[in-house]
Amino acid sequence: MKLIETDVLVIGAGPAGSSTAKHAALNGAEVILIDKKSEIGSPKRCAEGVSKEGLKKLGIEPNSRWVTKELSGVRLISPNGTDVWMKEDQVKLPEAGYILERKVFDKFMAMDAARAGAAIMIKTLARGMRKDYDGYIVSCESMGEDFEIKAKIVVGADGPESRVGRWGGLKTAVKPKNMESGIQFEMVGLEMEDPDVIEFYFGSVAPGGYAWIFPKGDDIANVGLGIVSTVTNKSAYEHLVEFVKNCPATQNAQPVELNVGGDPVGGMTKTLVKDNLMIVGDAAGHVNPLTGGGIITALEAGMYAGEVAAAAVKEDNYTEKRLKEYQEKCKKEIGDSFDKYLKTKDYLLSLSDSDLDSIAAAFQDTEFENISTKELIKLLIKVSPKALLKLGKLF
Amino acid sequence: MIVKEYCMYCGECAGVCPHCLIEVRETSIDFNEEGCKDCGICIQVCPVKALAKED
Repeated sequence: MKLIETDVLVIGAGPAGSSTAKHAALNGAEVILIDKKSEIGSPKRCAEGVSKEGLKKLGIEPNSRWVTKELSGVRLISPNGTDVWMKEDQVKLPEAGYILERKVFDKFMAMDAARAGAAIMIKTLARGMRKDYDGYIVSCESMGEDFEIKAKIVVGADGPESRVGRWGGLKTAVKPKNMESGIQFEMVGLEMEDPDVIEFYFGSVAPGGYAWIFPKGDDIANVGLGIVSTVTNKSAYEHLVEFVKNCPATQNAQPVELNVGGDPVGGMTKTLVKDNLMIVGDAAGHVNPLTGGGIITALEAGMYAGEVAAAAVKEDNYTEKRLKEYQEKCKKEIGDSFDKYLKTKDYLLSLSDSDLDSIAAAFQDTEFENISTKELIKLLIKVSPKALLKLGKLF
Repeated sequence: MIVKEYCMYCGECAGVCPHCLIEVRETSIDFNEEGCKDCGICIQVCPVKALAKED
């Protein structure tokens, strides 16, 4: 059987995989990036929102070919329709940003990896791997041909399916309570109150998660929701159909695309490396547990993974101990903040629809630029002192 | 396992399978039935309820 040898094999060409491949190649490693799909970035499994600050931090210039909409604020809607507006000109919103066209964006990221020197193989499925004395041999299949790739370092960037990590002995299986079932229509004919603002709908409309409308310009938007299957008997699809039926903005909207996918929202996986092996992106739980967003963290973690992998190649040292530099960096830059988000999520999910309505009513006319943490807590105590106890350690 | 025609191959079932028995390809899905312990988690999480146990 044909055997291809390389320094670094990245499995999965989403943002995490492409970023890993790019930065490993930029730092001198020989890199192969494989993806099982025939088109990188398609189908999308994402609401497509990214923060401006996140892109800036990574040195990625927004490009009109993959930015569909620049946002100016957020609208939060409670179960009874009470809304809270937060506009960028009134309050600094760290998550304010852009809506992407992922099918274009993901290809751009892969093209960046190719330009940095990575070899890309599409329609190539990794089917298993075995340990060799100085790396892994991965069994692959592409267009009817079976072959193997031997790599000093294998990077699992294979999304929430996360089989690569498990092949290497990492515990990446996601518990159902930590796997959000995401589903979304891309729709036309939206009638939003402000088409420059993203909308979040909370409460029983999406048990265990929330619903969203992310505008993509003109009258187009991603309309979706994430639920946790352990707290509802309905499917994510049934919840979405119900949401679209009842939401004022979608009464005359029509779907042009349906997207589905799991979102691992349980926080960062504890162990990200073993000898000759790293995991990154959704496969490593690099998803904000509160928002379910993971594009920026995937790109960031990929950058760290690529840099560490290339350094390990230069040093000819692929031990878990050497690769742990990547894990420690992820913990410091990404994982520690996730702990706070997890607590905030627990707090939000503990609230009933009427609690959420009371909070929205209390904040409806708040001028957020003038509100202090003390005032924020006072308001929350007034609404639900019991639930606030869960937030205690955050402050 | 019965995979209904409208499965969208998103891979969520593979991500929660405690025994790593599900291989999701671009437009097909393979279950290693021999190792399956019938926990039903894959059926539970499917966003479109495209999976069902065989009678």
